[in-house]
Amino acid sequence: MAPNELLDDVAATLAAIGGVDPAEVTPDRSLSDLDIDSMALVEIVVSLEDRFGLLIADDAWSQFTTVGDVLDHLERAGVGASGTTA
Amino acid sequence: MAKTILRVAIIGGGIGGLSLGLALQERGIQADVFEQAAELTEIGAAIALSANSIREFTRLGLLDELAAKSTVPTELIYRHWQDGSRLCAFPVRDDNWYEKRFGGPYFGIHRADMQKALSGAFPAAHLHLGCRLVNIVQEPDSVVLEFANGRVERADIVVGAEGVRSTVRRWITGSDDAVYSGTSAFRGIVPVENLPSLPDPQAIQFWMGPDGHLLHYAIGGQGESVNFFAVVETPKVWLHPGSVAEVNEDLPVASFRGWHPAVTEMIKAAASPISWALFTVRPLLRWHRDRVVILGDAAHGMLPHHGQGANTSIEDAFALAALIAEAGTDDLDTTFTRYTRLRRTRTRKIQRSSQVTSSLLHLPDGPLAERRNERVSRVPDDFGWIHEYDVQQALAGIGCTPAVSPAATK
Repeated sequence: MAPNELLDDVAATLAAIGGVDPAEVTPDRSLSDLDIDSMALVEIVVSLEDRFGLLIADDAWSQFTTVGDVLDHLERAGVGASGTTA
Repeated sequence: MAKTILRVAIIGGGIGGLSLGLALQERGIQADVFEQAAELTEIGAAIALSANSIREFTRLGLLDELAAKSTVPTELIYRHWQDGSRLCAFPVRDDNWYEKRFGGPYFGIHRADMQKALSGAFPAAHLHLGCRLVNIVQEPDSVVLEFANGRVERADIVVGAEGVRSTVRRWITGSDDAVYSGTSAFRGIVPVENLPSLPDPQAIQFWMGPDGHLLHYAIGGQGESVNFFAVVETPKVWLHPGSVAEVNEDLPVASFRGWHPAVTEMIKAAASPISWALFTVRPLLRWHRDRVVILGDAAHGMLPHHGQGANTSIEDAFALAALIAEAGTDDLDTTFTRYTRLRRTRTRKIQRSSQVTSSLLHLPDGPLAERRNERVSRVPDDFGWIHEYDVQQALAGIGCTPAVSPAATK
């Protein structure tokens, strides 16, 4: 998955669950800026887990502060071109 | 409703397993429950039932029986560990506040009374005691269960409801996903008259202090006893094979030295030198494999600080029963995936929140504790979502027919 596609995918999830305008979602935006609190973040994490078929450990997502942190984690976990784990 | 011949084997005759048996019964399916203990005797402890689970039993006609053995707390009170001052309080029974807001009561009840009420509504011929599961064998059209007593059973669907140390989960994931939390508890049940120092004995109260807290609430039809749960941030590592260990008889009280007399008096009165390790289950992506699925603590064991372990097991049970009844044995993978999708987000949120709550309850006096105390003042708004949940509405939301009370269909 190209970086922009992954960003679009995460933006769509943030929009569906956090009620965020997808156009507002850029890698440098902080999650708290987007009004994503920790419980909304759990919902987003579980949704991304189901979408990509991988587990995001509590120790990992609880360190996410920006949209970029979410993208980095997914990329490092091997989210590949097909939209699933590599 | 016609009974189908679907063979559902439930492993574990605790609250989750019996709830599933009743939930399937409501949907026209007679399941069999296999419990390893020779008698249905829950070990001495109580649970808090909240509106999100009680509404299911109300529909089954069990409310009066449960109410007769329960105490509704007067208030929810947060107190300072040492001087006992009320940091924050919210009405529960007072003004009927809780029931008005969440559409059901809040009960403190002994586990044995709860189990008795549930098993009393389930046919004894289908409750099999002394059956400890030792092996699961997958066959093309069924699952074979082998028990330690030599019994062999065949089922279409197997549900593991045997708690945080579940062997069924181990079969599903291939590993032991139970994690010791680094916290343990002393617990006990004490007659109210043995607690002269305790203010508001009929309230549910958190006493919050450095590296520990004590939670208690009254149980029994007259609020005659107080059930408590005293949590400490020790031992760092749990070395015992089970979840329970005997400790030096002085340890429970010594662990709370310097706390308010009501706290030490309660722990001392219980005289129970037993430590209960608090385990959780590492979040899992899948709760099923083949024809085998898990619910409750087996699937998402959590710290008990929101009082939601039993309540979410009950929600799981009613959700799973509805989805099984709708699909039968057709495409179980889809049925179990729907169940997991419906339940995983909610239980992960409560599990996470309970974890965060644990640290917040254990802060030493200081600026962090002061900020926590401000946060506590928003508890009814912050955690209302836990109590207002209605599993039948959630089922309707994914296109599954919700159960309706017999009265509503008249």
